Amino acid sequence: MKVTIQEWKAVAAWRWDMPDDDVCGICRNPYDSTCSKCKYPGDDCPLLLGECNHSFHMHCIFSWLRQESAQEKCPMCRQPFKSKNQEAAAADSTPQAIEANTSPA
Amino acid sequence: MTSNRARRIAKEIADIKADTLSQIFVEMAGNGEDLTHLRGNFRGPPDTPYEGGNYFVDIRIPSDYPFRPPVMKFETKIWHPNVSSQTGAICLDTLSSQWSPVLTIKSALISLQSLLSTPEPKDPQDAEVAHMLIRNPAEFDHVARDWAVRFAGAPKKEIAEGSGGATAETIKRKAQESKAKEEKNKLAAYHGYNKDLIDRFVAMGFDVEAVVAAFEYVGIDRMGGEDYELEEAYMGDVTARLFGEA
Repeated sequence: MKVTIQEWKAVAAWRWDMPDDDVCGICRNPYDSTCSKCKYPGDDCPLLLGECNHSFHMHCIFSWLRQESAQEKCPMCRQPFKSKNQEAAAADSTPQAIEANTSPA
Repeated sequence: MTSNRARRIAKEIADIKADTLSQIFVEMAGNGEDLTHLRGNFRGPPDTPYEGGNYFVDIRIPSDYPFRPPVMKFETKIWHPNVSSQTGAICLDTLSSQWSPVLTIKSALISLQSLLSTPEPKDPQDAEVAHMLIRNPAEFDHVARDWAVRFAGAPKKEIAEGSGGATAETIKRKAQESKAKEEKNKLAAYHGYNKDLIDRFVAMGFDVEAVVAAFEYVGIDRMGGEDYELEEAYMGDVTARLFGEA
């Protein structure tokens, strides 16, 4: 039997390269979802990985680091929080690029 | 903003309800739908005076939660150096300077439970309680247990003998026994001499043992433990012996 495709619509799904069931420790929403302020996941609400290998929604960890009581420490391990990758924070690239940036080594 | 916070709180409450193992409970404080005013409760930890008690904690969620800690205080009166015996206010670093947004209402309640096992009198919330714990641990245990029975519904009798906890009765009896023993030891130190007789020398700044030893050295009559006026010569001998030794 010969089939002729006349029309097709591509559908793709994406997800962060993170363990399946993990949630952001600050907002408790899944990494694939947004922080509690955003509407659309992905580029608009990226993840941020620290040098200590703890990750959060970028907006969540920034909200925390703005607090004086945070003393610029990671909420998980209380080490000074430094972003492992500056490009991720800039959020200037495609989801794939961010995915590559935030995936654990 | 508020709805986001409400979402996390609702999630936390669901988590606590789903977890039947930890024996931590939380409910809304009012009868309304106010997610910012909760009431938690947990059991007093074993091997403490609080064992078997049921402790309620008033929880207020600030508007910038989880970036600020929940405000917690004991509703149930408790005798503990880091909790005000008057207001229930709590002194715990994880609920103030050491708060982190990854902590939860549940983890905070567990921290409180473990605070009951590890009182820290050097960083007190209630100075009177802390002072008692340092100076007289037996009395502290007694009062803490008494309050647990009166206010937290802890059973009067220990559930299991020898579990390490102590009831008000056993603590009281022990205190009385040790007091009686102490008195007996004190009197024994006088070696049969009258207490007042010896104490007149002790008042000069010597200790009981030294005075009794001097009495025995000089050969002072015990007179059957009666108090009497020493002859001047004997007084001199005893004093000379005391000073000679010093």
